[in-house]
Amino acid sequence: MDDDLKPLPVINDDNRDFWNGCRNHELRFQKCEQCGHVRWPASLICPVCFCRAFNWIVSEGRGRIYTFVVYHVAYHPGFQDDLPYVVAVVELTEGPRLLTNIAECPIDEISCDMPVEVTWRDVNKEISLPLFRPAVSV
Amino acid sequence: MGIKDKYAIVGIGYTPQGRLPGRTALGFHLEACANAIADAGLKKNDIDGLICYRVFPPASNEALVTPYLLAQHLGIAPDYMYEDANCSRSHLQNAIGALDAGFCNYVLLSYGHNAASSDSMTRMLTEMSPDDAPFGHFGALAGYALAARRAMHEFPTGPETWKHIAVGQRKWANLNPRATMFKRSMTFDDYDNAPPLVEPFRLFDACLTTDGGRAMIITSAERAHNLKNPPVYIMGIGQHNPSYDIKQATHATGPTGAQKAGKRAFNMAGISIADVDACEIYDCFTYTVEITLQDYGFFKPGEGKEWLQDGTIEPGGRMPVNTSGGLLSEAYFMGLTPISEAAMQLMGRCEERQLGPRTKTKSPEIILCSDNGAILQTHSAIILRR
Ligand SMILES: [Zn+2]
Repeated sequence: MDDDLKPLPVINDDNRDFWNGCRNHELRFQKCEQCGHVRWPASLICPVCFCRAFNWIVSEGRGRIYTFVVYHVAYHPGFQDDLPYVVAVVELTEGPRLLTNIAECPIDEISCDMPVEVTWRDVNKEISLPLFRPAVSV
Repeated sequence: MGIKDKYAIVGIGYTPQGRLPGRTALGFHLEACANAIADAGLKKNDIDGLICYRVFPPASNEALVTPYLLAQHLGIAPDYMYEDANCSRSHLQNAIGALDAGFCNYVLLSYGHNAASSDSMTRMLTEMSPDDAPFGHFGALAGYALAARRAMHEFPTGPETWKHIAVGQRKWANLNPRATMFKRSMTFDDYDNAPPLVEPFRLFDACLTTDGGRAMIITSAERAHNLKNPPVYIMGIGQHNPSYDIKQATHATGPTGAQKAGKRAFNMAGISIADVDACEIYDCFTYTVEITLQDYGFFKPGEGKEWLQDGTIEPGGRMPVNTSGGLLSEAYFMGLTPISEAAMQLMGRCEERQLGPRTKTKSPEIILCSDNGAILQTHSAIILRR
């Protein structure tokens, strides 16, 4: 695995707080002050009620695999040595879904709705990526 | 509804297609446009509306094909112009809207790309998904594979269903000399043995990448009567855009936008699916065809395999689908692959693959087309008739 070749998250004024949280191994999401909807991607307004006020909450980092795929082709040279690798969409208990990788699990044991928990890959001092592994306890 | 049968497709422009290194995207646009204008029996100065289909990032040594660049090279100055930078499938609605408002009289709709030979697709894959790239997720194939995997979890589907689509469409391509896969047959074993790309998809679940172009001309029914080709009337059209990306989407396993878009198109046309003689379905991936037909109501969730088996969509079948070979086996020109094929079939210009006695299918009066974009985020249903 050659991490130097892999693309890094592109940080902007909407997602900066999320990635700052990841640096501290915290999954942070905006929770609407008015209706309680937890939103992702980060946004100026609540897509449910248009309220602009929110609080950052820290997810407990648990959820289930909504869906997943197995890459047998590297569309970017940084992932060549990882083949075959898994990209998944994980639905957190708080609601948001994250695109991520599944770690610490043989590919043929992965299934939709499987319980998972967050684990962190520290890419460098600034960036940690939230990955998911099978939940230790459900 | 007010616009039923008021507008018609009157000309189609083809180009050489396949793997054709050494040509620019602009060049394919120009050739397709010139051929469409000639095919309709028009002169270039008749064209007063110009719409460019969704544009991909250009090859690193080419300019972006904008409608004004295209107009400049065609030597025209249109009164109406539009281009889709993303993937929404409003082109025909825009064309009809512009014509119905009286903004213009003849709309030229164009697509061109050198996807097979340039670095454009690589640029799109690696530059257009910054949030997903750190996790190694790139492009539409894997996005649709995520949708398809969830569908496999929710109802009976998978490669055993999709192979009927891949093999069925290939049989049509084998009748179409223009198709990339004209001379290459495909068996179920070929499908099963193809290499996995992004599971659950393997090679033959994915559309082609194509160098080439396609263009089409739309005008009013009154103007259409005086032109060269038999007009192909737009009977019904509907659009729906679920919009949420695959990460937050719940529609990717159905109902997709196809359900509402289809209802709107059928309501406008005043017909039901029992009146449809054939379908030309946007088929970026095999699963896209299944979920689209399912949402239009041809079968219930999970009953696609049963509906498809025994050659339903093939030459000689009771509901022909993607009779050019489609995006899977003919060529990739966005929604213009299915829509132009429907128009050509209804004009009766399809030779060996012509629907009717020649292919032991119903002679087509009405064809249902679909166009679909992003990861099932946008959908148009279009019903065409002779
Ligand atoms: Zn709210």
